[in-house]
Formats: sequence, structure tokens, C-alpha cells
Amino acid sequence: MIPPLLMGAIIYACLITILSIGFTLTYLTAKIPNFAHGTYAGIGIYVSYTISKIMGLSPYIGMPLAFLLGGAISVAIFLLVIGVLQRMGGGAIVLTISTLAIQIFLTASLNIYAFWLREVYKTYSMMFMLKEFDFYIGGYPGVFPVTLALCVVTVIVLHYMLTRTKIGVAMRATAEDPELASVLGINIYRVQLFSWFLTGGMACLAGAFLPMWFQSNPTTGAAIITSIMAGSLLGGFENVYGAIIGGFGVGFSEILLTYWLQGTIGTWIGEYRPLIPMFFLIAILLLEPRGLQGVYERLLATKTGERLIRMFSRGRGV
Amino acid sequence: MIELIGSLAGEITGEARLIVDIAMFFGLLVIVAMALNFQYGNAGVPNMGCAVQVIVGAFTVSAITMRLTFWIVESAGIKLLPYYSDFDWVYNNQINVHVLVNPYLKEHPMVAISLLLFSMAVALVLGAFIGWLMSLPAIRLKATYLMIVLITMADTSQIFGRNIPQISGGTLGVFVPNVFAWYPGDRGVITAVITLAIGLVAFFIFRTMLNSPYGRLMRAIRENEVTVASVGKNVVGIRRNILVFASGITALAGVLNAFYFSFVVEANYQRAWWTYWPWLMLILGGPGNNAGTFLGCALVVAMRRIIIYYKWFFDQYFFFPISYFEDILLGTLLIVVMIFRPSGLIPEKLLYIPGVPYGRLVREEVKVDWRKAPRARAAGEKPRWMFWKR
Repeated sequence: MIPPLLMGAIIYACLITILSIGFTLTYLTAKIPNFAHGTYAGIGIYVSYTISKIMGLSPYIGMPLAFLLGGAISVAIFLLVIGVLQRMGGGAIVLTISTLAIQIFLTASLNIYAFWLREVYKTYSMMFMLKEFDFYIGGYPGVFPVTLALCVVTVIVLHYMLTRTKIGVAMRATAEDPELASVLGINIYRVQLFSWFLTGGMACLAGAFLPMWFQSNPTTGAAIITSIMAGSLLGGFENVYGAIIGGFGVGFSEILLTYWLQGTIGTWIGEYRPLIPMFFLIAILLLEPRGLQGVYERLLATKTGERLIRMFSRGRGV
Repeated sequence: MIELIGSLAGEITGEARLIVDIAMFFGLLVIVAMALNFQYGNAGVPNMGCAVQVIVGAFTVSAITMRLTFWIVESAGIKLLPYYSDFDWVYNNQINVHVLVNPYLKEHPMVAISLLLFSMAVALVLGAFIGWLMSLPAIRLKATYLMIVLITMADTSQIFGRNIPQISGGTLGVFVPNVFAWYPGDRGVITAVITLAIGLVAFFIFRTMLNSPYGRLMRAIRENEVTVASVGKNVVGIRRNILVFASGITALAGVLNAFYFSFVVEANYQRAWWTYWPWLMLILGGPGNNAGTFLGCALVVAMRRIIIYYKWFFDQYFFFPISYFEDILLGTLLIVVMIFRPSGLIPEKLLYIPGVPYGRLVREEVKVDWRKAPRARAAGEKPRWMFWKR
């Protein structure tokens, strides 16, 4: 039996991993950090709430809906705001400020939606958990295997997509050099549209699992953006595979480190939990601004790294 | 306005209160927005941590000035209730400040004024120090990294205020001494006048700096930092100096805000208010010139205060708190301005020296949009509104 604390840490880490991958993908294709990324998760939270508390169904039924809704909102944001500003030649700072405005807009909309639910259905929709709507497999709550599976499947599908399919290769080419990619005949606009749909859907889907284990409110999505950015930065900020490791590391350590510190220093330290991703962020920027990718590249440049490359590429003709 | 300032001993009510409120918040936010214009509009340093510097100013008042006031009052022979432990600090605060300290300050105007000046000086130093700390991780890196670090710091500073009651009374907040107790009229009026005066001084300081060679250097960094570095300027050092200097000025707004409310609580210094609204003012008015900053600040402040003032009226028609509607309104406004007036309501005037033939010196920059190029070649021109076929 896995202790509930470890289970919570793994669930949180899986969700942060998915969110970090999406954040990194957005950064790669649009070259901006999307501060509204965490708020997509907030939308997912309320999809789950609506499906389970209001309609009385299992929240798992709402997962495809969450994916589609998040994707649709993300695409709408791209079409109406980001894409227009990009075409006008707005710089990275202007685009980032616009994502901040979108974040404030979406958070306010979620708050209004929560008030509307309270007004119409007379339910308490400001601070809730949906544990009672979960199913159980052999004593484990269903959210644990499902999130773990979702995380693994996302990583595998993403890897397959980025390396084997045409759209994935086009995405990588766009990330590397948009001008060169467009010379080769890739429609960058369509690639960006696809990546925004994918990231928005993934973020909303991850958010839909959050209230199954953690207490959620309309601003949860805006609050976890620090963890998402820390995960993305730990992975190198420009590397999807780094974001997998970074997101999992930050999410996992955020919960376990808080628990450990509470045991060693005192329970009061639990209030300072949001400082842990902040600490990661600053430590990464001070020590190695390119995160794990930078460490990896530095390792490859040494003698040991060369030996490792030779070891792993034997028989592949690289 | 003259009647308002001269309204000694008179209660200010109704519309006059709204005018005082708008003047006060205009003064506060114009300091923040001008400092932001100094950083982003002129030097290209995207400071998204204005809230941190403002909160430092407010915490200076609640944690340092208040202890100093208590010490002065106690050494003058007035017995205060104990305020050393966390509990006493918060629960005896109201009696200490309102009953024991404020009457003393009312009789000693010089002490009160020197306390105000002291807290502004300390806030200037502490704000500059925080600016230096914030610049440490990411000032060398790309602007994106700097934005990420600064925006997360705003939330962290609130966490400290919330969990250490000795700073600002935790979630309950603390009352701070009324340094305008000697003024016979309404406290709001004198605070607003002093804030506007400080804003004016800040305006002249910023204007002088922007018109100096250093200001031209800042704009050169904004335009192309590689060129500036190639002629031997220390770009990172200049960016850090700008952040540190503007942080100090921003902290003054926190001090004045604390004295206006006579109350400090961390929840008043949210990222959305003190970072996002100044950015909105800057983008709305037009980054790069102070006139635009003034205009944007006046528009946004007037809109927000009028919505808050007539809250009872709007609340009849909405089932949710009006502040969320305000968020939606102002969020939409920012995006609309960005799309339809990218250079703001008052665009920046470029430096013009009479007698120099700019037309011959500077050719119009031909910009090829490579993202558009293949589309245009493949499909010819399409109507603008058919965005799904782009």
C-alpha cells in the first residue's frame, strides 16, 4: 500500500509534468511564456465540478469535454489575441503582457461562473474537493492510476508525434527556426494553431484531475503557474523532454519537501510551500540558466559524455 | 479643488470624497506607472514586480516606522500596552495606535512629519535593495526570464506578510500611526496633496534623467543593446541601476498608500492591482512618454474609482462582486488597445534635433514578414476576416 502522501505527490507531479510540457510547447512555437497556462487548469477544475456536482455524473466522463473545451479556448485566444499581435509584429514583452491580461480575464470569468453556480444551484463552489465522486480499485482511489497512466501516455504519444508524424516534425522545425521552416513550405500559422489547441487541451485535462485530490478554488489555476514555470525552467525551457523531468521533479519535491521540512523544522513551514518552486526558479537561474538541458550538454562535452555517446550509439551507425 | 484643500475641519462627503479618492489614487499610481515607464518604456526592462516594491514600502511603515513611533512615544512618557509578542502586536495595536499614539502625534507635528520623511527615506533604501535582490537571478538573461522571476516574486512577498505577524499583522492587518493627525481638516485631502506633490517631484526627477545623456543611453539600450555594448557600455550594469533606482521610487507609493488607509494588510497588495494596473496604464497611454502615462493613469484610475464608488448601484444588477466585472472590462481594454492602438493613445515622439536631415540619414526600415511570405505565395491575398484559412 502506497502512503497517501506519496500518492498525492505522484498525482501532483504527473499533473505538473503535463502542464509543464504544454508551457514549454507554447514557448517553443510562439516564443512567449504563457502566463494564462495555469488558468486553463482552472477551467478544467470547473468542468469537473460541473459534471460531477451539478450533473451528478462521474468526473471521468467530463475529461474529453475538458480537453476539447480547453483546446477551443486556447485556439480562440490564439486567433483573437496572440496571432493578431504576432502578425502586427508585437515583441515578446507585449505578447507576454497580453497573456497576463488573458489570465486576469479568465480568472475573473471563473470567479463569475462560480458565483453563478452558487446563485442558480445553491451549491458551495468556491472551495471544494471531489474525492467522493472518485471510484476505487483495490483500495486505491481511481485518480492515482489514471493520472499516472495519463502522464505516461502523454509522454509516449508526444514523443511519437514529435519524432514520427509530419505535424510533430513541422512543430520541431518551427521551434528551431520559423523562417527556415516557412521556406520549406511549412504553414507556421497552422502549426501554431495546432500546438495551442494541444497545449490548451492538455492543460485543461490536467486541471480536471486536480480537484479529485487537492482542494481547489477559482484561483488555484493562477497559483500553480509558479510550479509550472519552475518545472519548465528546470528542464531547460526550450526542451520538451527536459520539461518532463523538470515538471515531475518540481511537482514531486514541492509536496515531499514540504512534508520533510514540516517534520524537521516545524509545521509552520507548511505555509511557505509556494516558496519551493520559487526557490527552484532562482537556484536554476543563478546556477545554470539553461536548466537540465544545459547540464546535459555540458556533460556531453566532457570525456565521460563522449564515452557515453559511443556506448549508447553502438550499432546504430551514428 | 481649492475649496477642498481649504476645507479645514469640515467633513468631506459625497462627490467631493470621490474627487479626493481619485486624486489620491492618481498620485499613487502615477508614481508606480512613471517608474514603470522609466524602466520599460525607456530602457526596455520589463519590471513585472511592481507589487513587490510597493509592498516593501507598506511593510516599511508597518514594521519599522511603527516601532520607531512606539519607541518615541514611550520615551516621551506615555505608557503603551505591550506589543512585543505576535499576539500583542496585533491585538493591542488598535488601542496603541488610535488611543495612545495618535493624540501624541496631534500635539507634536514635527515628530509626525519627521516620521513621514523617515519612512519615505527607509522605503527608498529598502525598495532599492529589493530591486537589487530581484535583479540578481535574471538581469543578465533574456527579458522573458526576468519577467518570470519578477512575476512570481509578487506572490512570494505576500506570503511573508501573511505568515509573519510581526511585519504587518498577518491576515488581520495592523493600523499604522496617523502622521497627519496634526492637520485639522480631512486626512484624505492632505494625503492626496502630499502624494500629488511627491508625484510631481518624481516626474521632474524622471524627466531630468530621461533628457540627460543617461536617458539617451537608456533608449539606445531599448532599441539595440548589442550596439550599445559594442561601443563599450556596460549594458547589464545600466539595466540593473535602472531597476534599482525605479524600485526605490516605487516603494514610496507603498508608504503613501499605507498612510492614506492608516492600515496595512498584505491582501491589499495583490499582483493584479499593483503590477497589472500600472502596466495597463502604461500600454493604454503609450509607453515611452510621460504624457501618455499621465493620461492612461487618469483614465484607468477614474474608471476604477467610479465603479467602486457606485458599487451599490451596480450590485443590484449583478449576482457577483463587481470587481470581477471590472477585471474583465480592464483585461479586455488592454487587449483592445494593444490590437488597435499598439503605440498607445499618445505615441512616443522620437528625439528630434533641428537641423539634422533625418530623412537622408535614416532610411525606412523594410521589414519582411517571413511568416506571411509562403502563405501569400501559395494562396494569393485572402480577405482579412477569413482567419481560419490563413
